Amino acid sequence: MITGFTLPMAAERLIPQRAPMRLVDTLVSVNDGCAVAESVLPRTTLMADGEGKIDEVAFMELIAQSYAAFKGYLDRMDGRPPGEGFLVGVRHLEIIGKAYAGDRLLTSIRTVAAFGGFAVVEGVVTRGGETLASGTLKLWLVDPDADGDDR
Amino acid sequence: MSDLRKGIDASAMEALVGTGTETVSRRYRFSPGFIGFSGHFPGNPILPAIVQIRAVVSLAEEECGKALRMTAVRSAKFLAPIHPDEDVWIRYRRRIDSGKDICDATLSVAGKTVAAFQLELAEEETSR
Repeated sequence: MITGFTLPMAAERLIPQRAPMRLVDTLVSVNDGCAVAESVLPRTTLMADGEGKIDEVAFMELIAQSYAAFKGYLDRMDGRPPGEGFLVGVRHLEIIGKAYAGDRLLTSIRTVAAFGGFAVVEGVVTRGGETLASGTLKLWLVDPDADGDDR
Repeated sequence: MSDLRKGIDASAMEALVGTGTETVSRRYRFSPGFIGFSGHFPGNPILPAIVQIRAVVSLAEEECGKALRMTAVRSAKFLAPIHPDEDVWIRYRRRIDSGKDICDATLSVAGKTVAAFQLELAEEETSR
């Protein structure tokens, strides 16, 4: 294991998404199978409408990218480049509140299960302690040693 | 309207077919320059799952002529990646279940289902 990786850490070092589709800014903390990531989406984000309201589909991506940042951090700690992963399922994602450009959004994720290249992750997006969305995602983590088509 | 929504609308290849509680469908083709491919992922563009869901909500808004808000994703499965310039058929049907406005949707490419999801929708409130 490589030491010296301190948090918070820029998400760009940890996830493959790039602007404008990178929505997570910073991995704030990691604790066992849990992590917290921060996002402040600018007014120019492709997710904001003319009033600055963030499209509610962004909540799902925030949870997915927060988990990707968590996993990328673990990969780097193990001396590997961050791996790729794909969202393959969603269960019971509830969208309770609205987010706006400039809001400081914190996304907390918890790894519920990890098996056979898949991870099940619970996520909650909050703003100042107010829950805006929560749900469960299933992600497929690419085995970097495997050959083959991505389809 | 967000830039993402504009890009999705611009990727529609034809008028929508169907109304009301019938199955509504439309063909889309997302070009390599579509904004949703930008950065997702560098060198390996794949249509983000959130774009697939946003496209269904946008199509439903156009069909009913009202701004809609997605209040839940009851379930979703993304079965295969969608690449640039593929013809994507989006189909959905809306129904009421326990007072909720439910949208059952599928996306298919070359006759194969690549995504299926069930959304809860509500009319958008305009006040912040």
